[in-house]
Amino acid sequence: MFMKQTKVWLVLTIALSLLAFASACSKTETTESGPATPKATGKTPPSDGGTVSGTIAYNGAAPAPKKIDTSADPVCGQKNPNLSTEDNAVTNGKLANVFVYIKDGAAADGTKVDGYAWTAPSAPAALDQNGCHYRPHVLGMMTGQKLSITNSDPTQHNIHPTPKNNPEWNQTQPNGAPPIEKTFARSEVLIPVKCNQHPWMKAYIGVLKHPLFAVSAEDGSFTIKGVPAGTYTIAAWHEGGATGTEKTMQVTVAANGTAKADFAFGEAPVASGNSGLQMMPALDVPMMGRH
Amino acid sequence: MADSSEANESLVKKEPEVPAQDPIVSRSTSGIMLICALLLTASLAWSLYDEAFGQRPWKGMQQQFVSRYTKYLKSIKTQAGKTEAEVKESPEYQALEAEAQSAEERVKPDIAEIEHRVVKTQSELDAVTEPFQNQRGKLTVINYNVEIAAGRAKDKYRKQAQEKRAEVVDVDLPSAEDSGKTITQKVNYDQLEKLFNDLREEKAKLLGQKAELLKESTELRKKREAYLKHHMTGLGPVQIDGLVKKMEQFDYSILPHQISVNEFNIVDRCEVCHAGIREPLDLRAEDLAPGGPGKKPDSLARAFVSHPNREILQIHTPDRFGCASCHWGNGRATTSDEKGHGRHKFWLWPMFEKENTEAGCQQCHAKDRVTQGADTLNLGRDLFAQRGCMGCHRYEGFDHETDALGAARQSISQLEDQITGNQKQIRLDENPSEGSSDEEAQKMLAQSEALKVTNSILAARIDQLNLQSKYLMQDQKKVGPNLKDVRLKLRKEWVPVWLSNPQGFRPGTKMPTFWRFATPADNGLPPMRDKDGEEQIQAIAAYLWQDGFDGRLPQQQRGDTAHGKDLFETRGCLGCHSIGDEDNKIGGTFAANLQKVGEKANFDYIVRWIHNPRERWAPYCPKERRDLTEEDYKKHSLPYVFDTELHSRCPNDGAELQVQNMTVMPNFRLSETDARDIATYLFSLSSPPQYDAASFMDSPELREKGHTLIKQYGCAGCHEIKGFEDEQRIGKELTVEGATPIERLDFALLTKKAEEGSDPLNLHKEEKEKPWYNHKGFFEHKITEPSIYDQGKEKDPKDRLRMPQPFLTPEWRNALTTFLLGSVGAEGSNVPQSLFFNPQDTRRQDIQNGWWVIKKYNCMGCHQVQVGQRSVVQDLPFYQTPEGKDLLPPRLSSEGARVDPSWLLKFLHDPSLSGEKNAAQNAAINSAAQSASQTTTGANAKPAGGLNGNAGGTPAPPGATGGHLKAQPGLDRNGVRPYLKFRMPTFNFSPNELQTLVRFFMAMSGQQEPYIKEPLQPLSEQEKLVARQMFTSGTPCLKCHITGEATHDAKAIAPNFLLASERLKPEWTFRWLLDPSQISPGTAMPSGLFRKDGERWVINLPNPPASANEYHDDHARLLVRYMMLLNPDEQRRLLATAPVAPPAAAPPAQKAQVRTKSRGGETTLNRARRTKRPTLVENRGVRTIARPAGM
Repeated sequence: MFMKQTKVWLVLTIALSLLAFASACSKTETTESGPATPKATGKTPPSDGGTVSGTIAYNGAAPAPKKIDTSADPVCGQKNPNLSTEDNAVTNGKLANVFVYIKDGAAADGTKVDGYAWTAPSAPAALDQNGCHYRPHVLGMMTGQKLSITNSDPTQHNIHPTPKNNPEWNQTQPNGAPPIEKTFARSEVLIPVKCNQHPWMKAYIGVLKHPLFAVSAEDGSFTIKGVPAGTYTIAAWHEGGATGTEKTMQVTVAANGTAKADFAFGEAPVASGNSGLQMMPALDVPMMGRH
Repeated sequence: MADSSEANESLVKKEPEVPAQDPIVSRSTSGIMLICALLLTASLAWSLYDEAFGQRPWKGMQQQFVSRYTKYLKSIKTQAGKTEAEVKESPEYQALEAEAQSAEERVKPDIAEIEHRVVKTQSELDAVTEPFQNQRGKLTVINYNVEIAAGRAKDKYRKQAQEKRAEVVDVDLPSAEDSGKTITQKVNYDQLEKLFNDLREEKAKLLGQKAELLKESTELRKKREAYLKHHMTGLGPVQIDGLVKKMEQFDYSILPHQISVNEFNIVDRCEVCHAGIREPLDLRAEDLAPGGPGKKPDSLARAFVSHPNREILQIHTPDRFGCASCHWGNGRATTSDEKGHGRHKFWLWPMFEKENTEAGCQQCHAKDRVTQGADTLNLGRDLFAQRGCMGCHRYEGFDHETDALGAARQSISQLEDQITGNQKQIRLDENPSEGSSDEEAQKMLAQSEALKVTNSILAARIDQLNLQSKYLMQDQKKVGPNLKDVRLKLRKEWVPVWLSNPQGFRPGTKMPTFWRFATPADNGLPPMRDKDGEEQIQAIAAYLWQDGFDGRLPQQQRGDTAHGKDLFETRGCLGCHSIGDEDNKIGGTFAANLQKVGEKANFDYIVRWIHNPRERWAPYCPKERRDLTEEDYKKHSLPYVFDTELHSRCPNDGAELQVQNMTVMPNFRLSETDARDIATYLFSLSSPPQYDAASFMDSPELREKGHTLIKQYGCAGCHEIKGFEDEQRIGKELTVEGATPIERLDFALLTKKAEEGSDPLNLHKEEKEKPWYNHKGFFEHKITEPSIYDQGKEKDPKDRLRMPQPFLTPEWRNALTTFLLGSVGAEGSNVPQSLFFNPQDTRRQDIQNGWWVIKKYNCMGCHQVQVGQRSVVQDLPFYQTPEGKDLLPPRLSSEGARVDPSWLLKFLHDPSLSGEKNAAQNAAINSAAQSASQTTTGANAKPAGGLNGNAGGTPAPPGATGGHLKAQPGLDRNGVRPYLKFRMPTFNFSPNELQTLVRFFMAMSGQQEPYIKEPLQPLSEQEKLVARQMFTSGTPCLKCHITGEATHDAKAIAPNFLLASERLKPEWTFRWLLDPSQISPGTAMPSGLFRKDGERWVINLPNPPASANEYHDDHARLLVRYMMLLNPDEQRRLLATAPVAPPAAAPPAQKAQVRTKSRGGETTLNRARRTKRPTLVENRGVRTIARPAGM
């Protein structure tokens, strides 16, 4: 027993001392280099970025907007007698208020879409409360960009975003009060905004680290400009339910080229059941030649 | 040579013949010597080596640590510099910097001026100092001479002194204009002294002025440094350099790294090797890898990490507690990690495994129900209580009501005996024998008098004990359902099905498996009770069936499934219960999964249960040891009414009765229709299969056998069973189970396997097999497969281990094992008892006591009681939307600061705040006495005092629904938040528990006890006017808060202000008004209603009402006072002036209760509610999206 233990110790200590010695030796060899930390800033986005555009369709009959009972705050009814729900803004089978953005992917040289040194626009993103609605209903902005919130109504509102990754706040804004300015530090798609006094009032803010996003217009169209050439996952988000619905597809964008991405919400058409894997043949011709 | 010696052979005396092979002469010993010498040298070398290294393996480790840590520190230094630079670039820092600099700039000329003057004064002072000191020295000498001289000599010296004082000396003062020239002044001593003192004063004054001028910039510079310090994450380069330096001076020995606490005889040397434990950095194993930071770590790197829980180290500082106190192991051993960790066969208390670390907490925190930060241990305690372990095993503190009740009853009977004995003595004393003297008789009379008084004192004590036992009976709960109700509740054929395999019917249920043949056979264990198992099940089923209550329940029709589903999901059922199969389960694990209720239960019973689970079929009299019947009450001409309030005593003997079901499930104050709808929904989830007929359940022989078996298996530990009301726990007490010496844990025939590390249960599949002959191994195997230690034993069936097999997940198994390992009591503890957590201050005691009640009723299923804790309902899928978050029950983390304790007491007693309980009971009594058709329950549910306009409602007349359930006090209303679908149920707490809860909330918020309200200054008419205007025109408070006006309240989302004066504390309300989201993040009440104007808060409006502008006191405080003094008259007045008056055209608001009246013709409201569409119909919409302002 004793011998065994001793042996163990002997081996151990020799090993240890060797180890210590080895490390002492190796210490002298290593030079003061420090771990290479990747630059946080990233490279400048190219000036020859391409464009992604498309249309958002709505299949089937959309639920008709419902009139809102404004008796809790008659001021709303006076200013906006036709106040109605706006979760499905469909005109001629096209869907507005869909947030389309580059979700993932990389440029041809491997730079991730978040890896560029995007700078947030100095002009603030604007959110107005007008006729007891948030205007616009869906809004995109960049991290660090200022959000300026105004109240054009003759009544009091409170702006209450409920983000998951950013701090939550709930700020009152009486009529005639100066704009409230806020920023969001982290990207989040999308942050629901409510007003507790007017529970029908909703807005959604998409916050991204890059400016490659758009909100579909009344005719369902959208355009994202300045996309560095590369292959990306593009996502379209539409409100509804707890987290909304998001559809994605792959697009390849050439330098100065144009790629197309059409989405459809509503009743799923039989053909495209698996939206995520759908490849869009939306390639620009010159680019085909180059590859 | 040889010849001659032979020749002399005969002549010379024969020398003793030298053997040819003389070992001494002929053989050289040098070889042996050499070997010996080598051995000696080797052993010397070895002993030296062992002394230096063998016994000190830590030396190498320390060297390793120092080299690796230094390398790591250097690697992070560049990063640290960067963060510092980043902070310095931030606009806030820049602003502070600029401010500090400008302040410095501003005073710069003044400072320069002062400094110049200081220099000048100093040079003058320098010039004066020497002559002055010279003169003063000389004078001192002369004065000394005066003192020691005698007679006339004194006068001579005095004269000399006078001459000296008058003597004129030259002083070379520097000239005014820094030319280096000097002006010579001639001064005598007094002038010189004055000059000197003046100059000194001047200098001090100048320096003072300078400091005063610099004050601002110094303060600002301090602020700037503080900003840098607070905003730099991690350490700055200076601190890191300090650490590197510390490593350079590292002392490679034991003593400086040893923790020694003389007071408690603690000596721990863990930090000799674990050198990084208390470093001010979060050191991970990767940081200290042998190949450099970020490389693959080895075992040494893992040993060098910093303590994973710094917060705990701050509370339990190692300088006071050491390490082994919590972690166990052998804190003094330094020769190997095996010894240090106590994993040596001669060390009885090895270090806790990583997953059981929190067992160490239990040693000192054995009285806690909840220990902050010990999640595994808390889970273990939860399981011990909730899963019914405490039904069979006593554990100090758990289920204390049952113990206390037993003790109280015993004391009562002892006191009663004492009283009877005294009475006997009194009779004797008052009738003394004939032969006794007057003196003796008087003495005896005095004694009898004393005994009478004693008896009255004893009687008073019995009263108190009776009251206590009443409360204890009210609070006493059983883990399982009341089995006296089986006939009323269950399908007969289902009972044996359940008994044979509860986990098969309801996976994960609390009911453990008693008969092993019913467990899946794939664990390789021989079935143990298969022979007689079937018969045992039949016998127990027969007893339960034949000894259950019999009677007719009010018959119920099926109701509305969709509405029932909505109620089930929104009223709060899911805080405790779960619903759904296997993987689709949602809800809590505190109570049963209700997916298959329909397969086992009687619909009528379930409706009655949901309506009021506490409603008992018949009261139980502990004195007579039987359930009372209507006959017992009739005999005394009493109505057959029993409840905890006024009718809790036995009509026969006045003993306190058990008048309610011993379940923790509260009363949700649902209408009978709603209860029926919920039951209908639950029954719609499954379709009952056909079970085998069970005619044996009526056999009297089997019943007899069942009686014995129920006793043997201890069923009454968790269930109420007729004939077993006073049954004791059958298991071993576990309070100090972890301290049982290992040799007294009976591994039986598995001892060898345990020592060898062969595990029949294969509990740790992912790890390599290791010996489990230790406490952890024993507990783990025992609770996983309780019959395991019967394996291979020849035992009579009745002597076999009786513990049934509980349902356990690996996480639960570990939690329970942790709990048991730490259950060592004072004797087995590794910590002196004086260090146990045994708070002496009432605040912490109140918190400690409160947790038992909070956990008992699962308050945390619905509420966030603590900061950071998540409730069960919070994570339900329905409450993930922004609207859903508004519908959650209120957060209670600041409850004690928010509410008046006496109000809280009232609210917890009756959360409907209806204050009509007695009326309801009277109605119930009357109707029961008449035993005719019941009076309408509508009489009991009048709205109370107009507090909540939409409360009250009219319940259905019983005739229309066919229900005969008892009237429900406070039917269908929430006392504070009528707009919530969640309902704070009535728990029927005893005064004991009410008190504990109120004190708990007050203590959690650090409130003074008792609470004495600060008097509020009455409002002047002017102030009333201002407040009214602010209330209505400025911040439209009344838009969201309930006013008592039905149309308006249908859309209100916050409590009525009339509640404020009784409910809220003014200080809290003030803080709430300023920034509600600080108190309750996510609340509907917005921030920014007030802004700071100097020292006061004013209303934050661009165009405040004129009266507010003229009011120069704090606006927020004015509003608080106004709220606190608000009365209904004032509120009406307020409403009349409000611009947001509800328009007359608005559709009348609908109340939930209204539907019960009009079941035939459904309102649009009801229809809308039942169709589960994502978008909400206008009218409902507002109410549904409503959010409590959380007041």
